[in-house]
Amino acid sequence: MRYYKSQTAAIFAGILLTASLLAGISSLIYSSQKSDLLNSKTIYGDWHYCAETDKEQFQKTQSGEKGEGYHLKRCGKMEIRDVAEEEFLIYFISTDETYRRMAHRDLLEGTYPRREDEIAADGFVLSNLGFSGNLGDSVHIGARDYTVTGVLKSEWAASAGEMEVFVSDSFAGRISQTFLYLGFDEDEKLYRQLDAFLREHRISSDAVEGNDEVTKYLAGEEPGSIYDIVKFGLTDEEGNFTYIVLKLQSDYNLAYNGMLVLLCLFSIFAVYSVFNISVAKRTSEYGILQTLGISGKQIGITLLLELWMLFIVGYPLGCLLGNGFLSLVYRSFGGVFGGKGAGVTGNGLSAADQTLAEGTNTLQFYLAWDAMIFGFVFLLAALAAVAFLVVRSLGKQTLKEVMGGDTSFTAKRKIYALHHVNMAGVVVRKFMFANKRKVIGILLSLALGGSIFLCTVYMVENLKVHAELSLKSDDGLGSEYRISLKSNSLKDTIPQAAGDKIKNMPETKNVYPTKFTLGEVTRIESLEEWDSFFDYQNADHYFVRRYGGICLRQEDGTYRIKYDVYGYEDGLIEQLNEFILEGDIDPAALKEGNKIIAVANMDGQGNYYFYGKKSGDMISLRVPKMDGYADELLKFQSGEENYIEKEFEIAAIVSRPLAREQGFLQEGFYKDSVMPGLIMTNEQMEENFGITDYSFINASPAEDAEAGKVSGQILQIIRDVPKAVLVDYSAAIRTQKNYLRQQQIFFSGIAIILLVISLFHIVNSMNHTILARRREYGIIRAMGITDIGFYKMILQTGILYGLLADAVIYYIYNLILRRAMDYYMAHILQFLHVQTGVPNRVLFGIMILNMVIAVAAVMFPARKLVRENIVSEITR
Amino acid sequence: MSILELRHVEKIYGERENQVNALKDISLQVEEGEFAAIVGTSGSGKSTLLNLIGGLDNPTKGEIFVKNREIGSLSRKELTIFRRRNIGFVFQNYSLMPVLNVYDNVALPVTFDRGKHINREYIEELLRELGIWEKRGKYPNELSGGQQQRVAIARALVNKPHMLLCDEPTGNLDSATTIEVMGLLKASSRKYKQTILMVTHNEAIAQTCDRVIRIEDGRIVTGKRRFPAKGGDDAC
Repeated sequence: MRYYKSQTAAIFAGILLTASLLAGISSLIYSSQKSDLLNSKTIYGDWHYCAETDKEQFQKTQSGEKGEGYHLKRCGKMEIRDVAEEEFLIYFISTDETYRRMAHRDLLEGTYPRREDEIAADGFVLSNLGFSGNLGDSVHIGARDYTVTGVLKSEWAASAGEMEVFVSDSFAGRISQTFLYLGFDEDEKLYRQLDAFLREHRISSDAVEGNDEVTKYLAGEEPGSIYDIVKFGLTDEEGNFTYIVLKLQSDYNLAYNGMLVLLCLFSIFAVYSVFNISVAKRTSEYGILQTLGISGKQIGITLLLELWMLFIVGYPLGCLLGNGFLSLVYRSFGGVFGGKGAGVTGNGLSAADQTLAEGTNTLQFYLAWDAMIFGFVFLLAALAAVAFLVVRSLGKQTLKEVMGGDTSFTAKRKIYALHHVNMAGVVVRKFMFANKRKVIGILLSLALGGSIFLCTVYMVENLKVHAELSLKSDDGLGSEYRISLKSNSLKDTIPQAAGDKIKNMPETKNVYPTKFTLGEVTRIESLEEWDSFFDYQNADHYFVRRYGGICLRQEDGTYRIKYDVYGYEDGLIEQLNEFILEGDIDPAALKEGNKIIAVANMDGQGNYYFYGKKSGDMISLRVPKMDGYADELLKFQSGEENYIEKEFEIAAIVSRPLAREQGFLQEGFYKDSVMPGLIMTNEQMEENFGITDYSFINASPAEDAEAGKVSGQILQIIRDVPKAVLVDYSAAIRTQKNYLRQQQIFFSGIAIILLVISLFHIVNSMNHTILARRREYGIIRAMGITDIGFYKMILQTGILYGLLADAVIYYIYNLILRRAMDYYMAHILQFLHVQTGVPNRVLFGIMILNMVIAVAAVMFPARKLVRENIVSEITR
Repeated sequence: MSILELRHVEKIYGERENQVNALKDISLQVEEGEFAAIVGTSGSGKSTLLNLIGGLDNPTKGEIFVKNREIGSLSRKELTIFRRRNIGFVFQNYSLMPVLNVYDNVALPVTFDRGKHINREYIEELLRELGIWEKRGKYPNELSGGQQQRVAIARALVNKPHMLLCDEPTGNLDSATTIEVMGLLKASSRKYKQTILMVTHNEAIAQTCDRVIRIEDGRIVTGKRRFPAKGGDDAC
């Protein structure tokens, strides 16, 4: 070790860098997941399960309760005391302090109600109830007036589906439904604690609802065995590779653990490549040791001890370096890793409250101890494997061959000087390719960092597109304001005049009033593999009661399927171009040909399907007539005279709708799902089905408009529209955009760190590659090569390495990684429209950077060699 | 005519208390075509002297003239080119490029001179004379010590240098091979009119040379001693 200082230093540097990479990135991902958990708690509530119980159990259960196999750290209580159903569905709830803390329903101003006729509620509820804004004033709910004593923080949920008013304990309602909000010890498995709690208190698991967005980070459900998951994926008809990946992700946090395994592989690759060069240099010494009678096993132990000594010192130092560096980065980025809520604060209540959950803003860097320990054990074992492999390769050679050092290059007998050739170039190539396996190892390790960087950039680019599209469609946050109806009857509409007024407000822009009706697509001949999907929907009680099922098989073997039918404004239709799967979208062409846009079904693995139909095919659509409409018509089982049936040509198939209904097919279990639908223009809705009024309106404030004023004016316009409510998503949009920006920076941060560390690794490897040949370079200098000639020769080495590493990066990225990423993004992450590639400037930038680094990395040791005395070099 | 002249050359390694005076006030002249042996005990400074003459190292004091050019006045580049064209080296450990075969090892120094074409007939002649033509495709690790030294000699001769500097060229060889190598060096010296300076610690080998230069403790201790050049295989 002492004699081969440069080799030892190179191996040590390799271990140090890879340990810092492994520890740093693991901690970064771990911290990010912890941060996501905190934000999920902010959004969905800081509780794990909700159980509906009887009154006795409700009163008995307390925070801090410990039982056999569980520790209930916190228990929030919420009781529904009454329900008013006049214009809106309003729940009167009585809660304890723990519940309010868990559900983030903190008091923003005023006090909690104390008397029976007092209430507190969030701004959204109060503004839609016509509250003046002055505490102490009253609002009318049901048959009574209530004094408003306080304003609470709103629920995060953008739909704000249910209205809740908080009442005091003295409020005597007509009903009593009691719920316990359970928060167990997060250091133990949650599902086991829940089972133990339910068993002890004899509560049925049917009465329990999980806070899935929170518990998914905390082992909220019992994971399936990996064997069963893989077996199902490979052998079952419904199983496939995507199933395995998705299941492993949900049950075993594949993203984190997979990254950990990848980092470990990268680490071992990097250490192995440096170690290989070092050992090659020493092969002959090991041969001499063997002639002195030392066994292969003893050489292996010597090697292993050397590696382990370096590892035991280098690994903790590397962890310290990686974590230290990243914790600094983490802090300096501030809000970047804070998650969804970070950086957003309430800016006062507008007339219609902002749907808002404040971020915690507490940025903490967590150390991924489990990853560091796993990495330590893994690398310790892997280094033993490296030593074993080296000894085995020594064992394959005769003692003479071993003493002669690496002789694998002797297989080629070509005499280069017989032809006109640059012998310096020949020497460079010979040095590089003397052992092809080794050079492949070096090139792969050189290319790995760049490849991972490109993959991350690729993901960030697509994440950007997906995030924008998803914000508009899945999150319904394309517009700041949404005026909708707290109703699930087609009878209730927003008059066209109200829509026009909002459109004409100078303070608004991009106003998209949407018409809606529920329809039935008929004569679908085949469901292919989607029958089980519809079986679930058909079994949904709500859908059976209200619509008589979703997908019904007819006597002639065809199917009729309930569909949301939307009428969009032209501007909104044009935006659908971003979601196009096939066909063309042009509002004028839709109107002219009375064509329709279909939203495809998407399965859980990101595959799209529309009954085998393509753009240009025809579909038949039935909708109920609005004259003499009754909700019973939504079952589509009344006489034909009650319906209008028309045939439409499919102009295009898209992956998502934009403005979506709430309360029809998007209801209950499917509330947050993306339900398929059919889209035409508002004009077509009127011409085909006689629908003139709107069901909901999306709008954005004009640039200079004052938020409070805009929402106040909109509320004024819809005041006379029964059941109409206004939800202000400004804060939610801001928060989401901030979150998405953070996500991008987070991924970019990982990519840059990976790149920087891999560049360090390149410099280390290249530097060592040159210094490992210093005696040979000394001979060449003694033979009379000039300094310039020597630099040129070394430069060739750098360029050759750079070019080859670039070629490897290019091919690995394009032929393997990019395809794997496409699959991962389309089917696992289910990104919308994976189309955006790595910008050329980034691709070429990486290649040039690689080349520059490779050249710089060889020129530094070359300079060092030139300064050295030739005699001392050749007598090494 | 003198091809080499050293004037009051000194070489000091290290600094302060670690200073080692490797060579002290060395003055020396070597005639063209002379085959001189530099002998001395281990650490006496003979290899240092050879390295200074060859321009592989710089003297601390004094001047070294090769072909009437003071090599200390040359720039690094000029010195490298001068060395390449005028001086050939043969080292005790052969110093062959392990990744090149015999032929390429020999041809390598020629290719450093841009535009200079490889005289393949000459290389073949050299290799045949040295008895390693049949081994031209072999790599150094596939050759015996004697064969490797022949390759090193061929490489030293390939640029037809005026002076050949050999640092214990027979140090690693058995006696039979030593005789062969000495014979080859002498034959080369005669054939190409080359001056050869050979470092050795073997008195018997030294006695076969035209002249023996003795160094003790960094100084030349005796004057010229002429021996008839015996040459051929009957040396030693």
